[in-house]
Amino acid sequence: MTDSDSSLPASFDIRDYLRTDLFPHFMCVGCGHGIALRCLLTAVHELGISKDELAVVSGIGCSGRIAAYIDANTLHVTHGRPLTFASGLKLARPDLTVVVVTGDGDCLSIGGNHLIHACRRNLDITCLMLNNEVYGMTGGQVSPTTDEGRYTTTTPLGNHEPSFDACSIATAAGASLVGREITFQAPALKNLIVEAISHPGFGFVEVISDCTEIYGRRNDLGSSTEMILSQKSGMRPESYGGALDQPFRPGNWQTGVLSRSDREEYAAAYRRRTRSARPEEQT
Amino acid sequence: MSASSRLSDRAIAPQATPTNVLVVGVGGQGVVMVSRVLAKLCERNGLDIKQSEVHGMAKRGGVVFSHVRFGERVYSPTIPEGEADIVLAMEWAEGLRWLPFLKRESGGLIADTQRIVPPFSCRNRKRGALHGYQTMGLEELEEVVARVVAVDATGVASEVGNRRAANTVLLGVLSSMLDFDPSEWREVVAEVVPPKTIEANLLGFERGREWALQETRAELPTPPEPERPTHAADRVELEIVEAWCKGCDICVKVCPERCLELNGSQVAVLRDPAACSGCRVCEWLCPDLAIHVRILPAQEEH
Repeated sequence: MTDSDSSLPASFDIRDYLRTDLFPHFMCVGCGHGIALRCLLTAVHELGISKDELAVVSGIGCSGRIAAYIDANTLHVTHGRPLTFASGLKLARPDLTVVVVTGDGDCLSIGGNHLIHACRRNLDITCLMLNNEVYGMTGGQVSPTTDEGRYTTTTPLGNHEPSFDACSIATAAGASLVGREITFQAPALKNLIVEAISHPGFGFVEVISDCTEIYGRRNDLGSSTEMILSQKSGMRPESYGGALDQPFRPGNWQTGVLSRSDREEYAAAYRRRTRSARPEEQT
Repeated sequence: MSASSRLSDRAIAPQATPTNVLVVGVGGQGVVMVSRVLAKLCERNGLDIKQSEVHGMAKRGGVVFSHVRFGERVYSPTIPEGEADIVLAMEWAEGLRWLPFLKRESGGLIADTQRIVPPFSCRNRKRGALHGYQTMGLEELEEVVARVVAVDATGVASEVGNRRAANTVLLGVLSSMLDFDPSEWREVVAEVVPPKTIEANLLGFERGREWALQETRAELPTPPEPERPTHAADRVELEIVEAWCKGCDICVKVCPERCLELNGSQVAVLRDPAACSGCRVCEWLCPDLAIHVRILPAQEEH
């Protein structure tokens, strides 16, 4: 972390990218979503994307509020549909860098259908799924990524459903870059976001965040520092080799770029098809 | 006493009291191989030999030492403090670390001038900061040790074509101080080293022995000077937006310099600005985006 910041000029101030009048943000004490917000904005700064070229789309939930704090083109849309709105936006305005910020419930249950089809189309969108394993904003209900045995307001006897491996879903559905990182590894998360944004095609990044107030407290996971440190001790970076051969286990996250393919980007293919259908309209 | 005087004049003959040789170095340098050569040599000469080594963290560049005791009759395998006749150090600071084991009046130190700076001596994380590596040079050392031989063994070994033969160069120097037949030394070295490296190792041994037996040494290699800071330390400005901080305590817990704390109203404050090294860990991990670190080059200071 120390000397890797040579790419950051001394003049970089994250407040240039924030709607500072809305701060302090509404998220709870120690919520990892703030770290993800910083990583996203640092990545945008590093890539030299101006605020006019950036469009951030978010749905409903704790993660949905992220877009509101970014001083760029932002859409705060209906529950589960940020990828749908983003697909339309990207097709209409291919010059924009479209980043979707969504949560585990927003992306995998309410918007699960939209996720798999967005992955299948492989549009040049970056999807940041902030996974805190719970529906935080609505009061702590069980989510598709809640680990087995965990207590939530709707599973007072412990969750008995197995959880989703979101990265496997995205890979199987056809996303051309799939990665996962924990918030404690903030510079690595920033690098992963840089890679996903610069990748031509659908980039799916699962960010393992922590919900201290609603989830951690009920499950006795300790303070936010303890939660992010336990994520760190349980992570298995793909670069260590052999990590990807092991089965999915929540809490022991495989991190890094988990899969990559060079499938054709949807918008480019779409434009080629429309041009060939109407050759006289070519300009 | 001068290091350039003839060493063979004071060659140690095997006698009733055991001769103690302490071989020290960093993992991977061949400390154990040197003590094996000594052990085999003593066996050939019908001497009693006991050897004891510690190489726990050897593969991670940790400390390795090997006690070698030989004589008519040896009872204990370890050398008591202040009883070593020779300390053979393959790394400069390791040699200094084991100085208390040397005999005060007659003990000899053979040290490679190579320096391997261990990571834990780099405690100061500020850019351009000095590391805490041992700075004692040859002149100071000669005042406290009876005999010092500082030899650039790694350099000599590079000349003969294999840097890793530095330990046989030092063995060559050692051979001039112990009373064994040179041809036996060569045979044992050839027996112990890997077959592919016999030639380089024997050449290194000869060069080390020649170097030690020279009447006068034109230039005595001196250990390199301790490092100096290349530039003044940067100025670090750490700003904490009080209104944004929710007091989650992450920055306080992750700060490697322990220079942050929560004040009475549960807001993070910089307790010790001088200790802050500008590593940005707190800035990266602040969920409230309340911490802003600016690193200004020193010359901009007014």
